[in-house]
Amino acid sequence: MRKLLDSLFSYRLRALLKKEFSETRHDRKLMFSMTVMPVVQLTLIGFALSAAVTNVPLAIVDDSRSPESRELVATLTESKSFRLAGYYSSVDQLGDAVSRGKADAGMVVPYDYARNLARDRQTTIQFLLNATNANTATISRGYAESVIQRFNTGLRNQGIHIRIQPNAGSDFARRGQVQLQPAFLYNPGLVDSWFIVTGVLGLLLILDSSLICSAAMVREREAGTLEQLLMSPASSSEIIVAKIMPLFLLLFLMMLGSIGVLKLAFRVPFHGNIFLLLMGGALCILSGISIGTVIATFSKSAQQAQLLCFFVNPPLSALSGALNPVEAMPKWLQPFTVLNPIHHFATIARGATLKGSGAMELWPSFLGLLLITLALGSLSVWRFRKQLS
Amino acid sequence: MRRIAAQARKELTQIVRDWRTMALALALPVFLLVLMSNALSLTVNELPIVVQDFDGSTASNDFIDAFRASITLHVVSWPVDKTAEAALASNAARAVLIIPFHFGRDMARGINAPVQFMVDASDANTAKLVSAYASQITSAYAQQVGGAQAAPILTAIRLWFNPGLSSTKFFAPGIFVLAISMFPPLLAALAMAKEGEQKTILQVYVSSISAHEFLLGKIIAFMAVALAECLVMSLLLFTSFGLSFAGDPTPALIATVLYVFCVAAFGTMIGAIIPNQAAAMQAVAFGGFLLVYLFTGLIFPIENIPAGLRWISDLVWGRYYIEIVRDALLQGGGWAAMWFKVLIIGVIGAIFYTSAWLGMRRMQVKA
Repeated sequence: MRKLLDSLFSYRLRALLKKEFSETRHDRKLMFSMTVMPVVQLTLIGFALSAAVTNVPLAIVDDSRSPESRELVATLTESKSFRLAGYYSSVDQLGDAVSRGKADAGMVVPYDYARNLARDRQTTIQFLLNATNANTATISRGYAESVIQRFNTGLRNQGIHIRIQPNAGSDFARRGQVQLQPAFLYNPGLVDSWFIVTGVLGLLLILDSSLICSAAMVREREAGTLEQLLMSPASSSEIIVAKIMPLFLLLFLMMLGSIGVLKLAFRVPFHGNIFLLLMGGALCILSGISIGTVIATFSKSAQQAQLLCFFVNPPLSALSGALNPVEAMPKWLQPFTVLNPIHHFATIARGATLKGSGAMELWPSFLGLLLITLALGSLSVWRFRKQLS
Repeated sequence: MRRIAAQARKELTQIVRDWRTMALALALPVFLLVLMSNALSLTVNELPIVVQDFDGSTASNDFIDAFRASITLHVVSWPVDKTAEAALASNAARAVLIIPFHFGRDMARGINAPVQFMVDASDANTAKLVSAYASQITSAYAQQVGGAQAAPILTAIRLWFNPGLSSTKFFAPGIFVLAISMFPPLLAALAMAKEGEQKTILQVYVSSISAHEFLLGKIIAFMAVALAECLVMSLLLFTSFGLSFAGDPTPALIATVLYVFCVAAFGTMIGAIIPNQAAAMQAVAFGGFLLVYLFTGLIFPIENIPAGLRWISDLVWGRYYIEIVRDALLQGGGWAAMWFKVLIIGVIGAIFYTSAWLGMRRMQVKA
C-alpha cells in the first residue's frame, strides 16, 4: 500500500505539489477571484436574469364606459400578470403608447360591450401585445387568454348564455368537454431562478477554471521558468499533475461555496444525491481545466491566453442550455451541445437537485463529461509534449 | 488636427498588424451575432412530449392527433411498461399527456373528461410556455368537436411589431449592441494599458502632442473600428436576419455615433486608469460584457430584476442603446420616444472621456 502511494506521489511530485500550492496560496488576486467573484456572479446572475413575466403594463381604451367593462379591466389588472398603465381615449393614442414603450399590452373594449352582454350576444374585444420579445409576448398572451376564459366562466355562471352557437354540431349538447389539468413536476411553484442558477453554476465552473488554468499554465512560460522545470528530473505528466492539483482543489472549494449560495440564497431543493452533484462538478472542473490547458498550449503570454478565452467562451456558454432550453436553439445547432461540458453538467445539476434523478438517469451526462475531459486532456498533453521536443 | 489624425493612423496600423486583434475586431463580432442570436432564443420548437393513452378510443386518438399536429410539440414514443415520470426524469420528454380510461365514453355521454398534463417544471419558463400551448390546443379541439359553450367574450389578439414571434428579431439587435459594447473597448483598453505597461506613454509626454489630441486620436481610431463592426453587422441584420428600419432611422444613426464614442472612451478610460493589460481586460469584460449582458434587458426584461438591483441598469450605457436600436428596427417610435436616451448616451460618453483625461494626468504623475 505504502509502495503504491510512493509510486503515485513520488518525492518529485510531492516537491512540485509543495511549490505549486505555496505559489497559489500567495496569489492574493487569484484567491480573491476564486472565492468572492463566483459567489457575487452567481447571485447577480440568479437575481438579474429572470424570465418571469409579471406586471406587464396594460393600456386600456374603454369605449363602453360601463360597470361591466370596468369589471373586465379590474379582473385583468388585479392579476399579478398585468398592471394598469393608463386609460386612453382612442386606439391611436393607445398604439402610440405601446410604440413608445409606455405599455406592453393594450386592450380595446368596444362601445357595444355592455349592451351585447345584456342581450346575450357575443362581443369581441381587441387585445394588442408588443411582440418584440417573443417569449414575453407568448406568455402574456397565455395569461390574457386564461384570465378572460375564467371571466367567461364567471359570466356564464351569472346566467349570460350566448344564444347563437357558432360551431354547434348537431349533438353538441351531449358532448363532454376535455379538461386539461396541468401538473408541474419538480418545481410546482414555477420558480424561475432555479433553472438559471443550476445552469450558471456549470457556466462559472467552466469559465473560471479554463481562465485560471490557462493563466497558471502560461505563467511559467512567460517568466521563462518553464525550461528550469523541464530540466528537473520530473516528467512532463508530473509537472502537469502538480500544476493542476492546487487549482482543482481551489475550484472544488469554490464549487462548494456556490452550492451553498444555491441552497441558502435561492433555496434550490436538493432532492437527489449530493454525491452525484459533487462528482459531476469534479468532472466539470477537470474538463474546464483541460480546456484551459489546451488554450495555454496555443498561446505565448497570459494576455494571448485571455484573448483566446474570448473566442472559446461565448460559444461554449451560448450553446450550453444553461440559460435557455436546448430545444429553443435551431435544429442544426442542437447536436453541438453534446460536445459541451456545461450542457452535461447542467443536466446533472438539475437532475441531482430539482428532479432527484439517480445515476440510472444521469449516466449519459457523466459519460459525456468524462469523454470530453479525456479527449481534451490527451490533446493538451500531446500538444505540450510536441512543444517541448 | 494633423496630430490627431497621425495618432489615429498609428493605432489602426497596430490593429491591422496583429491577426489576433484583427480577428477579435471584425470576425468575432459577426460570429457572435450569428451564433448567439440563434442560440439565445427562449421559445421552443418541437419540444418532445410523451402521450400515454389508457383509453385507445377514437375520441382519444382524435385528441392526440391535435397534439401531433402542433409544431411546438413533438410526440415521441415511450414504452408502455415504463411510468410517465420516468420519461421526465430521464429527459426523454418535457411533458406527458395522460388520457384516462373511459375518456371517449365520458365525452360521448356529455360528462367532462379530465386529462392530465404533467410538465417538467425544472425550467419554469418553458413549463409555462408548454402548458399555455397545450391549453390552446385543447380549447381549439373543444371548439372543433363542438363540446365548448360559446364564450360571451371573444379576444382578438394582435401581435404588434413582430407578428411571427421570431426570437432572432428580438435578440439580434441585442447581440449587435453587446458586441459593440465589448470588442472596441477591449481593444482600446489593451492599447492604452500597453502604453502604460511598456512606458511608451513617456514618449507621448515628451512629444508635442497634447493630452486631448492623444486621447482623441486613440478614440477616433477605435471609433473607426467600432463603426466598421457596426457596418458589417448591420449588413447581416438587414440581409440574413430580415430586419429593416421600422421608422425614422435618424435617432439610431446619431445614437450609433455617440455610442461608439462612448464605448471607445470607456475602453481608453479603463486603460488609462488600470495600466496593466490583463487587469484592464478583466475590467472591460466586467463592464462591457457582464453589465451589458445582465442589466440591459438583453435577454429578459429589466422589470424582472429585483428593485434592489434594478437601479444598476440605469447606469449601464448599453441599456439605452439597446432600447434605441430595438425601437429603430422593430417599433419605430422615433425621436419623440428616444431623444432622452440619445442624450444620456452622449452624457455618459462625456463622463468617460473626462475620466480618461483625468486618468491620463494621473498616469503622467506616476510615470
